[in-house]
Amino acid sequence: MTPAVKAPAPVRKDPRRLLLAAPLRSVAALGAVVALAIVISPRAADGSCIFLEPGNLTDILRQISIIGIISLAMTCVILTGGIDLSVGSILALSTSLVAMFLTRMWQNAGYAVHIAGAIAAAAAAAAAVGMLNGLVIANLRIQPFIVTLASMIGIRGLAKWLTGNANIDIGFGQDVAARFADVFRQKTIVIGAYAALAAAFWLTLSRTIFGRYVRAIGDNEKAARYAGLPIRSTKIWVYALSGLLAGIAGVLYAAENHQGNPNAGVAYELDAIAAVVIGGARLSGGAGSIAGTLVGTLIMGILTNMLRLKNVDSNVEMMIKAVIIVLAVTVQEKRNGQ
Amino acid sequence: MPDLLKAEQISKHYGGAAALRNAWFSLRAGEVHALMGENGAGKSTLARILAGAARPDSGAIFIHGERVQWNTPLDAQRAGVAMISQELDLFPSLSIGENLVIGNLCFGPKSFVGARRIEEFCRPYLDQVGLKRPAAAALAQLSVGEMQLVAIARALSLNARVILMDEPTSSLFEDAVERLFRLIKRLKSSGVAVAFVSHKMDEIFRICDRVTVLRDGETVGVRDIGAASPREIIRMMAGRDVNVSRKSDRAPGPVLLQARNLSTRKLKQVCFELRRGEVLGVAGLVGSGRSELGAALFGLDRITGGELRLNGRPFRPRSPHDAIRQGVGLLPEDRKLQGLMMQMSALENSSIGALSRMRRFGFVRHAEERRQVAPLWARLNLKCGAPSLPVAALSGGNQQKALLARWLLLSPDVLFLDDPARGIDVSAKEDIYGIIDELARQGKGVILVSSELPELLRCSDRILVLNNGRLSAAFDAASAAQEAILAAATSEAAS
Repeated sequence: MTPAVKAPAPVRKDPRRLLLAAPLRSVAALGAVVALAIVISPRAADGSCIFLEPGNLTDILRQISIIGIISLAMTCVILTGGIDLSVGSILALSTSLVAMFLTRMWQNAGYAVHIAGAIAAAAAAAAAVGMLNGLVIANLRIQPFIVTLASMIGIRGLAKWLTGNANIDIGFGQDVAARFADVFRQKTIVIGAYAALAAAFWLTLSRTIFGRYVRAIGDNEKAARYAGLPIRSTKIWVYALSGLLAGIAGVLYAAENHQGNPNAGVAYELDAIAAVVIGGARLSGGAGSIAGTLVGTLIMGILTNMLRLKNVDSNVEMMIKAVIIVLAVTVQEKRNGQ
Repeated sequence: MPDLLKAEQISKHYGGAAALRNAWFSLRAGEVHALMGENGAGKSTLARILAGAARPDSGAIFIHGERVQWNTPLDAQRAGVAMISQELDLFPSLSIGENLVIGNLCFGPKSFVGARRIEEFCRPYLDQVGLKRPAAAALAQLSVGEMQLVAIARALSLNARVILMDEPTSSLFEDAVERLFRLIKRLKSSGVAVAFVSHKMDEIFRICDRVTVLRDGETVGVRDIGAASPREIIRMMAGRDVNVSRKSDRAPGPVLLQARNLSTRKLKQVCFELRRGEVLGVAGLVGSGRSELGAALFGLDRITGGELRLNGRPFRPRSPHDAIRQGVGLLPEDRKLQGLMMQMSALENSSIGALSRMRRFGFVRHAEERRQVAPLWARLNLKCGAPSLPVAALSGGNQQKALLARWLLLSPDVLFLDDPARGIDVSAKEDIYGIIDELARQGKGVILVSSELPELLRCSDRILVLNNGRLSAAFDAASAAQEAILAAATSEAAS
């Protein structure tokens, strides 16, 4: 019964290589997209690559900041195995609130106090909506998809009702609202806010106890319960953070567009989810990272930029994005699964 | 006797790790052949390959000396090889009969099937396995043991000549095991070959004719049971002699936990006391309320009547979080479903419950985390390549140890262990028995649930028997007889 022929001994791979593989591959994917962008980018008169001009690169960062900020907290939500469909509506509510406070209230307050108060009020309202999502999800045990679908509809309605379904314009002048817009639409402020929040979320997820709980709950909620982890409070905080970041994104949106817009942010939740998923997160929870989400957001942003530079029809752009999403997830499933 | 089934030089890799390396195996008609080895030795992988559920990277399989190549379990079934996996792979929402006919080649391709035709088709096979239930009965109503009979009946209805069973007794209590063994003997006399994956030495010696031992993906050897000793097989599996620790002399201290008429949706007026430094064994069938006792103590099930006292004070846990805070821990029955976060590392799984002891301003102190977990892993004899590896990459025994380390780190006064040695290899079992003894010597109270009576007799000071949610008997472990425990667990009087 002894084997007659000896097969060559199988090579044992160092299992730690599997750990390195995931982030390295996202970076490789990002590199590939950048390389592609450089190759097909239109050239300026002197032959240089328009894509690589500093102005263009910072434009990309600024363009992705709003979705990028939302997708940071969306990463946490998806890590817990949940989903937050209400962020687009919360963004609209936040743009409306900040514009209302700036143009219609506290007219005799000082500029700095007025602006800080308006931002704080909009962000607090957004965080409160997120926390409400979390409370319902954690305490009534309704699926996050359903709860946030309901608040996506309800909060959109609230924003329209508050504003009478009209945009609130933030003028170009010397009044407090215009000052606010001038400050908060600057590239450095927008990109800086995105970078600071990304760093904070990366630290939170990778280094804190809260981050550990977030991953544990998404990995196996039942086991997290048996381990005595604070599941309810963790979930409530995760959704509150999601609301807060949508609120901050809303403030930046209002400054950028010089208006409070109750119809803003439609389908932003889907763009954020797409960025998170391209970044390697699993909708079933437990897998995903801020680094991955940053890569996912950048890939989408660079693609948009590239296609606009080439004057590709925006409808075609959507079709191309659809293919990219499926492609990205297919590649990840290949590397995860057996 | 010629080989009915033969496998040569089977190799299989999963993501770079070798599960099987040139393993070989042979099976004769009408024999019961045990496949033994520690966890991760490759038994289940080999069984899956023989059943067509996994494809080998290299190697050959022969049936009656003819080389075969299987791409799906269906191919193997056509050749008369069926597998009954641990999970049984049945459809709980269908009836017994539907489970038998679905996808069944011998039932034939029919678009419409009537209940009568199903009953006619199934009856001989259900009779053969001794299942006295109508084919129209819903599978979900059956006990685990009966479901297993359905799975075997399905295999027979496929005209299987070779039946592979992956740890068929791990979820059965003694009476169901006896029924299964009688059936296996009948199958054997009708010429069916049974390959039997198991960790239980006494079972192997009772019903098997030969045993093949695997270690680290390689076949170590094959022995006739008549010419082998348990000690020799253990040495073949482990590659070394295993130290069998003895229960140390313990003197239980003051009462730690007291239950008076404890009732939940499943428990009926259960009374017991647990002392410091005592291991209290709990015997009972699956569904007897033995796991529900843990659920009540751990705040998972609502207590509907009676009272619990912990250290003399009333104890009514509202949640696992609350129970842990008050000093009660629970190692759950199903480590993958209820215990581990499979995508997280072994280290993170061990430390997740006690992160508040290794933090600074809400941040985890990684060096401190390793410093606190490392000595516990050493005590448990847990070996893993890198602490940052996902726990899913560890063998079953090491996974269980990583989970047990979580509780050692929290160090609750009362630890409820729900079948902690289920489905893990011999040396890991010994390590866990050693820890149970150590906990008792430290003055903790341990409640140990087990399906295996020898394990209970060996580790416990006293043994409670649950039957249908009631406490049907209590024994002193030193003087208890297995028969008496079994009688108390299975008698109908308590229901």
